[in-house]
Amino acid sequence: MAGSQSSMQVNIVAADRPLWSGAARSVTIPASEGGMGILPDHEPILTVIKSGTVSAVDTEGKRHSFDVSDGFISFDSNRLTVAVQRGEEPKAGAAE
Amino acid sequence: MASQLALKSRINSTTSLGKIFNAQEMIASSHIAKARTVALNAKPYSDAISDAVQALAAHTDIDHPIVRKKERNPRVAVLALTADRGMAGAYTSSIIRETESLLDRLDGQGKQPELYVYGRRGVSYYKYRNRDISATWEGDSDHPGVRVAEDIANRLLADYMKPASEGGVSELYIVFTEFVNMVVQKVRVLRMLPVKVVRSGDAKSVVGDGGKAPKADATDADDAQADGTSPLYSFEPSVEQVLDAILPKYVQSRIHECLLTAAASETASRQNAMHTATDNANNLIDELTRQLNASRQASITQELTEIISSADALNKEEE
Repeated sequence: MAGSQSSMQVNIVAADRPLWSGAARSVTIPASEGGMGILPDHEPILTVIKSGTVSAVDTEGKRHSFDVSDGFISFDSNRLTVAVQRGEEPKAGAAE
Repeated sequence: MASQLALKSRINSTTSLGKIFNAQEMIASSHIAKARTVALNAKPYSDAISDAVQALAAHTDIDHPIVRKKERNPRVAVLALTADRGMAGAYTSSIIRETESLLDRLDGQGKQPELYVYGRRGVSYYKYRNRDISATWEGDSDHPGVRVAEDIANRLLADYMKPASEGGVSELYIVFTEFVNMVVQKVRVLRMLPVKVVRSGDAKSVVGDGGKAPKADATDADDAQADGTSPLYSFEPSVEQVLDAILPKYVQSRIHECLLTAAASETASRQNAMHTATDNANNLIDELTRQLNASRQASITQELTEIISSADALNKEEE
């Protein structure tokens, strides 16, 4: 896979605990207007998300998925923050 | 002097009470570590949300009912955070004292305070006095989760958004105990709603009006200024919708913060109270043991005197 050098810092936090943080190559989120993919060096954005699945592909190409309730994301200076009310790892074997 | 039997039974009961206090103290100190972890875990979320609100404030002139209430309405909400259980020293009573003085103050300003109570002790205090309570929450004061914060925030925001004719309120005050450190916990009054927009220089920041304690908020604002200008965000779907979604969550996360610091304070004051109680029990046991020994010694002396004097009397008769 190309572009392994470009990555962004991702922080996924639920109201009661942080879920995941690390460097990622891409993140998809359930934005209120439909699914949205975010790549490194995206323009600064603040958007509302609805419940669904947030998944991040880290620099090793491993996918981290979380079932989340409503919240929002903000992206600036190559740092993505996903803040949700509730979130958890999906049960093992569940399709992402 | 009390009988030895009575002293012994008092010593026994004090000993077992002392054991209970000691156990409570140890339970409280283990809960503090837990409360600290919970608070640390909730921090990233509340940081994220205040950053987002900062960004919104820097980008737009926030015009939202949560920030600016248009209609004039004398009814205001007062939320008192008390404990579910006793044995926490003056924790609940200082909250109640502060709440009462706040209610008086609001009355003096011509406002009509509505009471919301969190924690069983506070609820039973006001129920016993037949006071009108708008809503109560019980059973979570030890370990306030996101859910109870959500419940409280939803209820209060709903009442806040209602027009005055339907029993809405125009302000929200929270009386809670701030956790300063293990020994010091301070009762604070915080005006949560409407959220106040503070302009400082050309940077704008949104802080909850801290009443007596805008300390945490002030540091938030300082951080924002240190970062320099916020990046120019694009908001999706629109600024209004983002505001609609984020401001209630901001209020909820602030309420959750209050609940967490109140829970930590409750545990700390319980630990302090139980520590004092254990010390007192030990002192009492020492004192009672001393009395018991003295009374036993007195009775032995008395018996000896009786034996000797009766022996003397017998000897005299034989002579």
